Amino acid sequence: MGKHRRRPLYAIALAVGVMTVISGTSRPARAADKTVISCAYSETYVFDNEDLTKKWWGGIKAEFEKMHPDVTVQLVQIQGGYDDIVNKLSLLYRSPTTAPDIAQMATPTVDRFASSGYLLPLDKYLVKTDWWKKFPPVIQGEGAWQGKTYSVNTGENDSMLYYNVELFKKAGLPVPWKPTSWNDILAAGRVIKAKLPGVVPIWILAGTGSGDNTVLMGVDTMLAGSSTPMIFDEKTQKWVVDSPGLREVFSFYHSVFSEGLGAKLSDLFSTSGVTAPVFMIPKNQIAITFGSNFYGGNWSKLVSTPYWPQASQVAAVVPVPTVNGKAPNISTTIGGWDLAISATTKHPDLAFELLDFMMNKENQINAANWAGFVPADTDYVKDPSFLNFAAPYNELSAVVLPDGVIEPPSGDYLVWSRGAQEATGALAQHPNTTVDQAIGILSDYVKNQLDPSQTEVLK
Amino acid sequence: MGGDATEKPDGVAFLLLLPTVILLLALFVGPVLYAFYLGLTNIALMGPTARNFHFTGMINIHRLMRDSLFWESLKLTAIFVAASAIVGVTVVGMALAVLIQHAVAWLRAVVGAIVVVAWMLPPLTAALIWYAFSTTGGTLSLIGGSQLDVLNTFPMFVVCLANIWATAGFSMLVLSAGLRSVPTEVLEAGRMEGASRWRVFCSLTIPIIQPTIVTNILLVTLLSLANFSLIYIMTGGGPGNATNILPIYSYQQALVFGKLGYGALLGDVVVIIATIFAYLYVRVSRSTRMAAA
Repeated sequence: MGKHRRRPLYAIALAVGVMTVISGTSRPARAADKTVISCAYSETYVFDNEDLTKKWWGGIKAEFEKMHPDVTVQLVQIQGGYDDIVNKLSLLYRSPTTAPDIAQMATPTVDRFASSGYLLPLDKYLVKTDWWKKFPPVIQGEGAWQGKTYSVNTGENDSMLYYNVELFKKAGLPVPWKPTSWNDILAAGRVIKAKLPGVVPIWILAGTGSGDNTVLMGVDTMLAGSSTPMIFDEKTQKWVVDSPGLREVFSFYHSVFSEGLGAKLSDLFSTSGVTAPVFMIPKNQIAITFGSNFYGGNWSKLVSTPYWPQASQVAAVVPVPTVNGKAPNISTTIGGWDLAISATTKHPDLAFELLDFMMNKENQINAANWAGFVPADTDYVKDPSFLNFAAPYNELSAVVLPDGVIEPPSGDYLVWSRGAQEATGALAQHPNTTVDQAIGILSDYVKNQLDPSQTEVLK
Repeated sequence: MGGDATEKPDGVAFLLLLPTVILLLALFVGPVLYAFYLGLTNIALMGPTARNFHFTGMINIHRLMRDSLFWESLKLTAIFVAASAIVGVTVVGMALAVLIQHAVAWLRAVVGAIVVVAWMLPPLTAALIWYAFSTTGGTLSLIGGSQLDVLNTFPMFVVCLANIWATAGFSMLVLSAGLRSVPTEVLEAGRMEGASRWRVFCSLTIPIIQPTIVTNILLVTLLSLANFSLIYIMTGGGPGNATNILPIYSYQQALVFGKLGYGALLGDVVVIIATIFAYLYVRVSRSTRMAAA
């Protein structure tokens, strides 16, 4: 009896097995018929959290595959931080078999990927779109190399000055506050220090802990509003290691740290120094912050890192002024993330169609809100779904964007940046460091890493 | 029975060794030789020479010679290895080994377990523990004052301590084995001659276990030379370049600045230093075995 009873089980198992084999073999056959477009992107670094990364890229895949049933969008996630993304993409591009059809990359790296021969020029496609012409020229220029455009921006970050309204009122400072020069910032910081001990008067990043982000949100942002806003001299093809503008910037740092207006070294030198103010501002621990546009989005209910419903009443925001109030009195660097197509893609038209889909209004505003970006399209930044997501921060971030300055695209910029990190680190750690010594640290570092003949002094 | 050292290996022995030799050649010797070649090229992570790189002769070596950061980094590597591996780990490891030898059984078990667990922790965990311990807001600042920031004030000192903490367990195990091998009758004879415990330790125990100490120093030196993660996580080589040891500097050049060729050359320097210590280790091991025979 037992054996007879088992026979049907054997038969079912056999049938299931055969079905599995049939279905297993038939699935790849169907998949093989489809055109595969691969997209490499950061899983953990660009969007505000992994769920939002999955939501955006998953949405792109689902929608595009719905529009094109014969296409499979293959998602290639890259884990880790900024350097990991650059390194992984470099490795993927080394072989045509692993090069992603579309890749998300940091704007300062586009030039180097393009000069490697990895990227497809997009000019013939871009002229046919309605969104490309609405990008500010400075952002269009981010993807350019030797006269051709190799990438399109999918969101920018810029710098702004946050101040705590409650702390300003307690210290007797005017609200709203409208600093017109760097001296105004120092003056307010001095009042905060005198009236509110325990509060960090001025948060400005320094040192090597946060890498180039330290310089982007500090030295570079201020240098953009200095009397000589130049890092790399295009005419002479040399790196500027000493200039009146650099001295103005280091002089500001010197005042901040020699007068005890800066933050603790453990916070400044930490690898999480970039995001520390997002948590410290709601706790009334910082009065004035040289910060990034993404703070407001982080305080929204959707992102909640941390959720801070009172943000718009407590944390006000103004543009970083220039050194002495010169119009338009905006100092900021800009840098974001671009999308590029591989030079070895077998489906360039389809890849651009997917890229074009990513660039539509809904996708770009979602990317901006979920990653803390400012959309590059000058129409999208006026849309209420962007403005209201993190008011009033998103509005100001769009206002300052067209006046932003991009960092030099050369790989050697990171050497200059490291020199600037060490100079600001010395000013923060040893408050008796003079401006001359800080200039010397930057200059020595760049000369040692590159060559003295590749540097220059601006008078 | 020990076998004649001059005896020729037979064919079977050669065949049995062949897979190991092939694996070593393919996965170790080959990549190392290629790294030496890359160190003499202009290969970059990105840019025109990412794929179309070529041999550049002595250019990278000339740059190395005049790179003040390289010499600074070499000095910092020597300090880190000497202070943490040679002095710290050996002294702490020896102290623990001696204490455990004389401790009651339960204390021996508890201390031994704690120290070995510290050694078995991944470098990431050890680094985070020490980072949290030594920065402002950490345990040390709770004890010594809220603004105390030992990590940024004495960075090299703290990373050496962290390395000692993380490696002392290994040292303790090696030296404990050495101490157990010291004949008790020799020590008793010393005591009967009127020597103090300290004198017996210095004049009898240390000379007897000297080969073990040297072996331990060499092994810990090799472990410390390769200890990239600990410093990278704790300080990233900073503040400034205060803890920028060679493995960190090599990483910075290759994977931050994208200069793979020069980064490979810096890595080659680490390989050469490690090879010297490895050679010394093999020689010491061989002489120890011969002395024992």
